[in-house]
Amino acid sequence: MAVGDYALLIPLLPALAFVLTFFLGKKLPNGGAIIPIVAIATSFVISLLITLGLLQNPEQVINQSVTWFAMLNLGILVDPLAAVMLTMVTFVSLLIHIYSTGYMSHDRAQYRYFAVTSLFTASMLSLIISDNILQLFVSWELVGLCSYLLIGFWYQKPAAASAAKKAFLTTRIGDVMFLAGIVVLFSDLFRLYNGSIPEGVFILKFDEIFSQIPQLAAMSTPILGFQVNHLTLITLLFLGGAIGKSGQFPLHVWLPDAMEGPTTVSALIHAATMVTAGIYLVARTFPMFIAAPDSLMVVAYIGAFTAIFAATMGIVMNDMKRVLAYSTISQLGYMMLGLGLGAVIGAEAVGISMFHLINHAFFKALLFLCAGSVIHAVATHDMRQLGGVAKVMPITAATMIIGALALAGIGIPGTSIGFSGFFSKDAIIEAAFLFGENGGGWVLYALSIAAALLTSIYIFRLIFMTFFGKPRTAYGGHEAHASMTLPLSILAILSLVFGALTMERFNTFVSETFVNNFVHMDIPALAELGGYHLASHAGHEPLIILWMPVIVGIAGLLIAYLIYGLRVVNMDRLVSRTNPIYKLLYNRYYQNAILTNFLSIKVVYEGLAFAGRAVDTGFDWIVNWIGDVTIDTGDALRQLQTGVVQNYAMVVITGVSLLVILITVVMEVL
Amino acid sequence: MDLMLFAPEITMVVTGLAVLLIGLFLPVESKKVLGYLASLGIIAALYLTIASLGTNALAFYDTLSVDALSQFFKIVFLVVALLFSIASIKYTEGSAHVEEFYVLAIFATIGMMFVASANDLMVLFVAFELASISTYVLAGFEKKNPQSLEAAMKYFLIGSLSGALMLFGITFLYGVTGTTSIPGIAASGAAIAASPIGIISVVLLIAGMGFKIALVPFHMWAPDTYQGAPPLVSALLAAGSKKMGIVAAFKVFIVALIALQVQWQIAFAVLAVITMTLGNVAALSQTSVKRMLAYSSLAQAGYITMAFVVLTPMALGGGILYALSHGFMKAGAFIATAAVVYMVLSGNKDAKDPDHIDNFKGLGQRMPVTALSMTIFVFALAGIPLTAGYMSKFVLFSSTIQAGFAWLAVIAIINSAISLFYYAKIVKYMYFLPTEGTKVSEPLPYTIALVVAVIGVLAIGFWPEPFIYWAMEAGKVLLAGGI
Repeated sequence: MAVGDYALLIPLLPALAFVLTFFLGKKLPNGGAIIPIVAIATSFVISLLITLGLLQNPEQVINQSVTWFAMLNLGILVDPLAAVMLTMVTFVSLLIHIYSTGYMSHDRAQYRYFAVTSLFTASMLSLIISDNILQLFVSWELVGLCSYLLIGFWYQKPAAASAAKKAFLTTRIGDVMFLAGIVVLFSDLFRLYNGSIPEGVFILKFDEIFSQIPQLAAMSTPILGFQVNHLTLITLLFLGGAIGKSGQFPLHVWLPDAMEGPTTVSALIHAATMVTAGIYLVARTFPMFIAAPDSLMVVAYIGAFTAIFAATMGIVMNDMKRVLAYSTISQLGYMMLGLGLGAVIGAEAVGISMFHLINHAFFKALLFLCAGSVIHAVATHDMRQLGGVAKVMPITAATMIIGALALAGIGIPGTSIGFSGFFSKDAIIEAAFLFGENGGGWVLYALSIAAALLTSIYIFRLIFMTFFGKPRTAYGGHEAHASMTLPLSILAILSLVFGALTMERFNTFVSETFVNNFVHMDIPALAELGGYHLASHAGHEPLIILWMPVIVGIAGLLIAYLIYGLRVVNMDRLVSRTNPIYKLLYNRYYQNAILTNFLSIKVVYEGLAFAGRAVDTGFDWIVNWIGDVTIDTGDALRQLQTGVVQNYAMVVITGVSLLVILITVVMEVL
Repeated sequence: MDLMLFAPEITMVVTGLAVLLIGLFLPVESKKVLGYLASLGIIAALYLTIASLGTNALAFYDTLSVDALSQFFKIVFLVVALLFSIASIKYTEGSAHVEEFYVLAIFATIGMMFVASANDLMVLFVAFELASISTYVLAGFEKKNPQSLEAAMKYFLIGSLSGALMLFGITFLYGVTGTTSIPGIAASGAAIAASPIGIISVVLLIAGMGFKIALVPFHMWAPDTYQGAPPLVSALLAAGSKKMGIVAAFKVFIVALIALQVQWQIAFAVLAVITMTLGNVAALSQTSVKRMLAYSSLAQAGYITMAFVVLTPMALGGGILYALSHGFMKAGAFIATAAVVYMVLSGNKDAKDPDHIDNFKGLGQRMPVTALSMTIFVFALAGIPLTAGYMSKFVLFSSTIQAGFAWLAVIAIINSAISLFYYAKIVKYMYFLPTEGTKVSEPLPYTIALVVAVIGVLAIGFWPEPFIYWAMEAGKVLLAGGI
């Protein structure tokens, strides 16, 4: 029996762990943490074996489907794209669960924590493993629910409760767009079949959707005077969902606030896994994107803009977790950009973007867990109160520095020496260069290089402020427990070597997903449909281009060292309320003022409230009238029910007579 | 002829007789074992029925048929009987008449099963009466409780009247066609259509079956009886015996009287609209939960009746699926109410109106499993997605629209919206109003029955495909005019 036959267990085991932990966890030591750990470890082993098997033989894609009802199905699909995601999610989730046994050991609601994190893991895995868009959407909503529950885990804190609500409502905007995309897609496919779908065809299954791409691309509808291609419409609606889930501009506002949850949750959900669901969605439906005119360009520009926009805000935050949150948004922007660059490099875009996704998952989870370890020990998030932590927490400091180097993308081009982030970020930036070279404009390249510089500055600012110099306040601290430092070390090793070890193999493996697996798509032909001009990608960039990302990375390190390490610049002048740039950044571009206070509260809420009051009075009257009449009728009917059995018999006989008359009369009329 | 065709019925008869005989020799305190015995027998019969799905045969001089329709409805009846029998283990505890209670329920179920198989109006009538008479007695099982006696009395009187009307209708049909066989009557359709007596016999048969289905205006007994009878018996009546009326009507009208299709479609269209509207509106202002559920089941019967009007394969499939779903949902809701009544009465033996909605206050804390199950049942009845109720409504209503009866679908959907008001009211009482008592331990038999019903409701909601398939198969039997 092949290991592939157990693929179904990957999401099922964590789901089972959720039920067990929820009901029994209270009575077990450590909130029953052992149950999810064992379940997720098993899922990890299965995923890993399947991935290794696929590497040997990419044709062994697992696709099992059963009819759900009518033309819909339930099923699992493990192709290279899904396999690497599954392995990453189970692995990171496993480490974070182990880490949580230490981190959450003082919390009385531990069992609730472990139950919800297992449910989250199960939903995330089922999102990845879905072989149809509807099942993916259901899991998509479930991970959103878990995120809500976990951000608001300490619901006694008003900040946590309101952050949970904000996250839920903001992502909802994206979810509605995603659902709208599915509805449009469904109705289009239904139309293509003229409403009669043959037995055994499941129209929302990915291979079925992909096989209809040319027909979908041929449909268009006028919207506001423009002829909108249906494929563009659908993909942009999907992108809307991805923007919400993956914290892209302008729906990124929820992600920094989401840091109110436990740090482990931030690491698991808001850095490594759930926020990448949006990227995964775009990658999963990549053949649709590349065949849709303009869609990939929107993806690329949103990604590049988000990357730099979030990085500028990361520089001025004083809360360690918020710096990392903005960093996550910025890196997700890179992944979006990577996918958007499919406009020039074709299917390889999926490879480089997923490569960055996986690397990012390792080093960002590492950074978050290190931050958690510091927070756990010294009980503050504020970097201004820290300094010199490296002395008390050497392991945490060392691993966090490795994470920072990986994020900044330090390495030597042309060799396989470098931290993991180096290889993937470099690939994306090089693709952006290729895009410019092919006449697509240099904006994307400029933005991505500038963002790389800023990335390096903000992360080393964090390192220098936290770990070096003299303690600025008297905090007590100690190195974390082994259950916490062990996952840190494992993640640090992966951040060190994963990129170098897998670089060559990974890109081809994942890029082949749509070419040579469960579907055989002709990507260049699809790109023609979308009007994109693919370039042959052969690393013949000038040497300076290859070195540029590393140069800006080191430059950022030096700048941070000069300012925050040696303190050659008087920060008080820069960091003052009179400096307009600082003010702008520190206030996060006044998003809160503009989006929340002005747009949400003044325009939408008060506007609606005013219109509501006017309309309400009218509607109230109508609704109350209907309600009153209905209930009065109900009361009157109660009077009819006399309880006297003779009356009942009379009603029966009357009924019979009336029916005979009625039928006769109607028959006469007919 | 193969006796094995009727293995489920034979199993039930043997179980019934065994329960009766063993009960005679058992002391009161060990009569609990009868409940287990009955449940096991029902499970065996259920297994045999499911195993026989797909069989097509006629037996006993073509008076009985085994096909997808009959087996599907037998499953409905057996499921309801099973839920009833498990929950009754607690209800009958300490009573000296356990064996009678079970035997009556089992015989009622046998009657229903034979109605499902009937291929001859005489067999149908006799089986109908077997079920009716058994349930008359069950409704009055609490001999010391005047409400229960009143319920039984009204049920019996109106039941006898309706039985007489139905027999009258059958007599007319026999007079015109010279046969009581259902396919035989269908064959002489032209004679019935030509005769003025046709319409009268249609209406008389509608009255007779409308009594069981509780169609307005033949429904007057139902609220009083459901409210007065022991709540578990109400479950059997609403979830089981109502479906017997439906399957009988399916056979008599769609197969035998297809020649008068237009005539009875007019009647059913009017009755469906009146029944669902009256049921929902009257349910709004009820304070007794049992009575509210009684009106709710009027409304549900109204929805199912739409299948007669639309009469497409999908609509019949929807109606038949609805019958199964309703079996789970309504039996579950009544059993949950029974658990509450049991809880109230075990606290205070002389409590007035133990099913008053005030007793549901804070139930979420007092009886968490019961409250959660009840929530699922009422949401399913209201038609919230991922429950059996939603799936059935979806199939039935969308087939109505497809067939061009949009007006009927609109009325039904408005009715569903109204119904949410009183269903949500129960949930509000259970979870949002302060509790007036402490947590009580929930009796295990009730809990098991509730969990089984919840599984049924959710299974149909999550995985409707096999259920829809068999419901459609059953519907095809009707449109093919029987075997």
